[in-house]
Amino acid sequence: MEELVNELKKYLIEALNLEEMTPDDIDSDAPLFGEGLGLDSIDALELIVILDKNYGIKLSSPAEGKNIFRSIRTIAAYVAEHRTR
Amino acid sequence: MTEIVATNIISPLGRTTEQNFRAVACGRTALSHYGCRGSFPGPFTAAAFGPESIAELAVEGFTRFESLVISSVEEALSRTDVDTSSDRCLFILSTTKADVEQLGCDSSEDGAYLAPGAAARKIARHLGFVNDPLVVCNACISGVTAQVLAHRLLSAGYYDTAVVCGADCLSDFALAGFSSFKSLSERECRPFDIERNGLNLGEAAATVVLRRCVDAVQGCLAPEKSWKISSCSLNNDAYHVSAPSPDGDGALSAINETMTGRDCSALSLLNVHGTATMFNDQMESRAVERAGLSDVPASALKGYFGHTLGASGLLESIISMSAADAGTVPATRGFSQGGVSGRINVSAESRECCTADVLKISSGFGGCNGAILYSKDGRGCGPAKAGASEAKTLHTVRITPQRVELDGKISETDSTCGRVTLDGLYRNHGWDYPRFHKMDSMGKLLFAATELLVSACPFSAEETGRAVLLFNASSSVLSDRRHIASYSGESGFFPSPSVFLYTLPNVAVGEIAIRYGIKGETSLMILDGRNDHLMDAVVDATLKLSDAENMITGWLDCPSEDEFIADLKFLSR
Repeated sequence: MEELVNELKKYLIEALNLEEMTPDDIDSDAPLFGEGLGLDSIDALELIVILDKNYGIKLSSPAEGKNIFRSIRTIAAYVAEHRTR
Repeated sequence: MTEIVATNIISPLGRTTEQNFRAVACGRTALSHYGCRGSFPGPFTAAAFGPESIAELAVEGFTRFESLVISSVEEALSRTDVDTSSDRCLFILSTTKADVEQLGCDSSEDGAYLAPGAAARKIARHLGFVNDPLVVCNACISGVTAQVLAHRLLSAGYYDTAVVCGADCLSDFALAGFSSFKSLSERECRPFDIERNGLNLGEAAATVVLRRCVDAVQGCLAPEKSWKISSCSLNNDAYHVSAPSPDGDGALSAINETMTGRDCSALSLLNVHGTATMFNDQMESRAVERAGLSDVPASALKGYFGHTLGASGLLESIISMSAADAGTVPATRGFSQGGVSGRINVSAESRECCTADVLKISSGFGGCNGAILYSKDGRGCGPAKAGASEAKTLHTVRITPQRVELDGKISETDSTCGRVTLDGLYRNHGWDYPRFHKMDSMGKLLFAATELLVSACPFSAEETGRAVLLFNASSSVLSDRRHIASYSGESGFFPSPSVFLYTLPNVAVGEIAIRYGIKGETSLMILDGRNDHLMDAVVDATLKLSDAENMITGWLDCPSEDEFIADLKFLSR
């Protein structure tokens, strides 16, 4: 699981252009939206692309991802269970 | 003031304004359900020309997009005696992406691609125009912006006639982009409905021919019969690059500005943007209620034509004027049960109305909003604002890969390494704005240039009356190529919303509107090469005929990662 968490952090930093951040700077349990990383609605859509591209998981809308995208750890748990590649 | 002397619409529903209006009046739609298209996996619903129509509209030596524009302009002009070869006649093209489907992931893969300015010039030459054309690229409000600019350039006396054509073709490019935003509805769109879940794309061209008149009676070809642009307004809500302010602040202020001193009870109908996305329709309903227009019969036309992007602001205005002429408010096709919190008077049925004023509103990515009031009597169309004087240049900034100059002084610290890079500028100056890293190169370039201008002349966020009017030649070609690679490359179909966002070049302008709280109008225009004479005319007409007190304006072009130029100035009246 820790490996997946770190992999997700790398994808996030790259896809969301979180320059000047390293995987160690991201708290795996901190909220991604609002507080914490402060991601916005476009980032949420970008997270959907990350899951599709890297793990073959298809989400139809950000609303569907609301509970999944709470933190890196919740995403990792979902990916571990639903990945098709 | 300006009079509309002729119009045309070419859509899958017909080749003339009359055919298109009749189709709407009969409740016909151009929307069809499709499986896949090119690299777009689908299924989807869109309004597209059939192969026969495309063949019939084709003009030899021109692309499908160019042919569509030429056919629409020629039909409109055939109803007038406008002389396109006069140096008092201007051609304005409104488009979001022009011929982008001809572009490749890199230049070796380009087909017959011409940048929008170059395509406009090719079209303009064919149609006999002698002046350089202007392309307005302001996302979904391009068609409204283009008419506003034409109205101002005519009113300020720069030209006597203007031909304004809006067009966009259905493309994998747009389908992939809007699907990455999860804003496409697989089924026919349902504006303002409780079950709405997104937009349908459409393709069309729509043209208005405008003519300058001294007043509503004098100089008008048809004083009583013709429609006039009575007033108009553009702004930015400085809220978010892809989402409108939820309470419709921008749309509200565009309506209020446009309706100042005018009688809302004289409105026969309000044509709204009504894309059928959750956010747009909700926001518009709030703006309409807050503006006190809840009782005015409103109508959204996306259920007939889809979202025709650069054409929509023109096409929907033309249909609305035809409807008012016929004394009807078109039914909002797709609407059944209200699903927005603001009170707005849309209906699934067509209704009768008196023939009076028509108000068109529109909002788009990059935070831009616009409104135009069309009337028959042209009242309230005053002359140029009294007291408007020559603008003074307060500060200038110039950034190229070779050097950075602020007010003509070369910045030694930024040039010492021999080469200027945008990320280097950000680090050197210790700027702290994480969104910078999300922007494409043109966005970063504009951010850096504006940051330097502001360092010379601090802005206060509360100040109103600040506009941003920028010009370039390459549109958003770098982001365009990245977007194409994201959905058509070997690695599969994974379009990215943050890449697609910057393929609307006005989004770079929206970024600085947010950064500095700029709530005046923000526009991006494309030329086939820099033309200071035309740029100065647009700036002067805007300062004379809008509420802009000051302005950031100039040339902002990013043809490749290591070839860029920002040459901007801060002007004040």
